[in-house]
Amino acid sequence: MSLFEKFSQARALEQALMEMPINPTGTIISEVVSASEAIIGGQLKIMAGTNNYLGLTFDADCVAAGQQALLEAGTGTTGSRMANGTYQQHLDLEIEIAEFFDLSHGMVFSTGYSANIGMLTALLNTEDSVLIDSEGHASLFDGCRMSGAKIYRFKHNDPEGLRKRLSRLGEAGKDALIVVEGLYSVRGDCAPLKEYVDVKNEFGSYLMVDEAHSLGLYGENGRGLAEDQGVSDEVDFVVGTFSKSLGSIGGFCVSNHPELSLIRYASRPYIFTASPSPSVIATTRQALKKIKNCPELRQIVWSNAQLLHSGLSKLGFQIGADVSPVIGIPFEDREVALTYWQDLFNKGVYTNLILPPAAPDGGSLIRCSVTAAHSKEQIRVILDAFDAIKNG
Amino acid sequence: MTHAKIVTRLIELLESLVASVENFDQETALVGDAGLESIQVIEYLCEVEDDFDIVIDEEALSYVNTVGDLAETILKINLGKSS
Repeated sequence: MSLFEKFSQARALEQALMEMPINPTGTIISEVVSASEAIIGGQLKIMAGTNNYLGLTFDADCVAAGQQALLEAGTGTTGSRMANGTYQQHLDLEIEIAEFFDLSHGMVFSTGYSANIGMLTALLNTEDSVLIDSEGHASLFDGCRMSGAKIYRFKHNDPEGLRKRLSRLGEAGKDALIVVEGLYSVRGDCAPLKEYVDVKNEFGSYLMVDEAHSLGLYGENGRGLAEDQGVSDEVDFVVGTFSKSLGSIGGFCVSNHPELSLIRYASRPYIFTASPSPSVIATTRQALKKIKNCPELRQIVWSNAQLLHSGLSKLGFQIGADVSPVIGIPFEDREVALTYWQDLFNKGVYTNLILPPAAPDGGSLIRCSVTAAHSKEQIRVILDAFDAIKNG
Repeated sequence: MTHAKIVTRLIELLESLVASVENFDQETALVGDAGLESIQVIEYLCEVEDDFDIVIDEEALSYVNTVGDLAETILKINLGKSS
């Protein structure tokens, strides 16, 4: 059997996508014009499919901080922290991200994916049990699987289902790790974290919350959904990424457990990955300051989210009840979803097309996201495009 | 509970998810023959877990293809509980 025979399905999918006028999974952005616009296929598009929630990718202070770091510390660290040294800026960011969450300890990884893999593979081994929301991000599942722990899924956003499973696990449930997200990135719905905390406390388990998409958006200080639901102190491990609201790249874990420092000696994705480059650290630190000092950014993104959500609802799209900067529009028929995505694109709006098996309900989905960088006029253009396709 | 009885109950539980279970037996593949989509598989397995008052870990599920395989897994879990 050829080494490449296993790719026959992937080849068929690639061929089908290549036959489309533009491949929705291989969009080439030739020029980024601003935090909300880009040139794709020679045309200006409104970017309604990013994770740039606070619109900070072109923030003047963040860009300047990155430029300064490039000049002062060079383009890269060229190695891992354990083998090649920790820059002072890595430590500063770890202190600042912990302070931002009002927690005691912080640890920075090179990407959000490696943060999840790195934490889960270090925390869990074959003796452990982990209970994970069935719609958790791939990085969470991958981390659980790589750890060798016993994995039990429960239905999406179902604290009672979690409670039943912990109960059935008996003694193993006491030390089990529960893994959920804050804001789910495809449908844009939120986890009932308060209820999860109640369940965790009932059994004495541990709770990890991935705030990748909720950081900067939820809570009085922008710390995420746990802050918003008043349970920040009850979450054992908060993981997340710098590549969404913070407009940079990297991942982190913050916790009040002092053992977090020991993870550095056990986490292979931490030990064997090159550390984040100085400019990345600098822009991340600056963006963190923006979240703290510019609450108006949250007000703008929520105002835009409300506008898009109510507009799509009025147009009759079956979207979730939770208003959030992420809106998933489900389509039972894959071809209809493809056509919608293409038509939106032709009308100057870039969205995300999510096809089976990636869509959580087994159907297809168009994911729209808004940012603080979008103008009200741009939101209107997005809605007009949906209207024209649906009713035109 | 015997393997055969578990198979019967597993097919009953499939009734709410598929149009007809008329020709289903222990050889019926959950995805291929029963036609369950990935999300339905998760729903179904959660329902099965609740019905049998058990939890099935992902590793055990990786060997499950047919209704009969699932019954075998449940049988093993129940034996483990009673031993």
